[in-house]
Amino acid sequence: MDLSSFEMDNSVSCRLASQIPDVCRTEDCCLGIDEAGRGPVLGPMVYGICFCPVSRKEKLKELKVADSKTLTEAERERLFQKLDESRNYVGWALQILSPNTISTSMLQRTKYNLNALSHDTAIALVQYALDNGVQLKEVYVDTVGPAEKYQEKLSQRFPGIEVTVKPKADSLFPIVSAASICAKVARDRVVKGWKFNEDLGDVDPDYGSGYPNDPKTKAWLLKYLDPVFGYPQFVRFSWSTAQTLMDSKAVPVHWDDDEEDGEKAAQRQNNKSMLSYFSASAGGNDQSQTHKTHRFFTERRLRSLNTL
Amino acid sequence: MSCNTSVTHVHISSVSQAQRAPVHLMPCEIEHNGPAQVSQYLTATTKDRKYEKTVSFRGRGLKGQELSCPQGYTGLVLKEVVDKPGSDQEDRTVRVSSVFDKVTYWNLETPPNSDDTVVMAMDWPELAEAIHGPVED
Repeated sequence: MDLSSFEMDNSVSCRLASQIPDVCRTEDCCLGIDEAGRGPVLGPMVYGICFCPVSRKEKLKELKVADSKTLTEAERERLFQKLDESRNYVGWALQILSPNTISTSMLQRTKYNLNALSHDTAIALVQYALDNGVQLKEVYVDTVGPAEKYQEKLSQRFPGIEVTVKPKADSLFPIVSAASICAKVARDRVVKGWKFNEDLGDVDPDYGSGYPNDPKTKAWLLKYLDPVFGYPQFVRFSWSTAQTLMDSKAVPVHWDDDEEDGEKAAQRQNNKSMLSYFSASAGGNDQSQTHKTHRFFTERRLRSLNTL
Repeated sequence: MSCNTSVTHVHISSVSQAQRAPVHLMPCEIEHNGPAQVSQYLTATTKDRKYEKTVSFRGRGLKGQELSCPQGYTGLVLKEVVDKPGSDQEDRTVRVSSVFDKVTYWNLETPPNSDDTVVMAMDWPELAEAIHGPVED
């Protein structure tokens, strides 16, 4: 697994893939989808697909792939090695969603939630296999959300393919276990070797598992909080763990699309709050202008200044 | 209009000693007045794409570009020589802490274009010159 194309720019989303085995272009195939790193506040989320001919399902079972979560890191690496050695009939592809992609998507003006992002990523990977001539007949998906709706969505999107969406699919179907191993191996390697784009000198690599409840992760998040910028791009800003820490320890930042209300917000936005009618009149206020400013100036937010 | 009788003095001599500094115009309000690790966080992660620069701030995607000051103009960053006086009746003295001839301005997610407020604002000096400048026969 060559991660260099992601490591060249770890602020964006990146696709990695194996060669497509020739046999997958001629025989009916099954494909498994799984993800790694959905929960952590640190690092990327990796989506993986793995596919092989339906006739080789049993052979895949003999490799003894299992749900990646039940395996140690060393076992996962070993099994990935085995999958790689079976490249004449097993293919895989990964989509690495960088933490920056996750943050900026979830915090977009028109919110793009993690479920939608996950579904779109999975769909794009299946489409990738189809575009490369893989004869897909069966697709197995592991899910955390409601399975029926997702299954319906995928079945509609890919007519002619039998789609099975199931919680814990990674322990039920070897092809999904294989996908989960590919995804988890990539996520582990990326997190371990994370290159900080920020100029922070030597960053303490002891960030733990990246899960919000890991004490090491918590301590790291406290240590690397910048009062203005918040965090390096390694952190998912859209996670409540990160937001809560920034709310309490970093300076407040306001955007024009913030959903805030009340008197303070109105004051900040230079509007009048309802409550202001009850306060004492400000007397000769500077808003009552004798002439209306021309559109040329208001459009450019140009104002005369009489004080700094 | 509020009647402002105070005078602001600018130490013009400080211009020559002032450093040229990179300036960023952000599409948000940051409740902070003081130093910030701009080069370590913002500059270090800025990507020069074909038609725009991209970066993220606090997890939000920004797109921006460099904008030159109007011809014949220099941007000044002013700093109070003494602490800001309590009342606006008192005189103030400022010095030029740095100068700039271009700014990088950032939009929230929107690609930079010629309709951006700050780009259009740069029309004014030329227009002002046409309106107020001396008329030649």
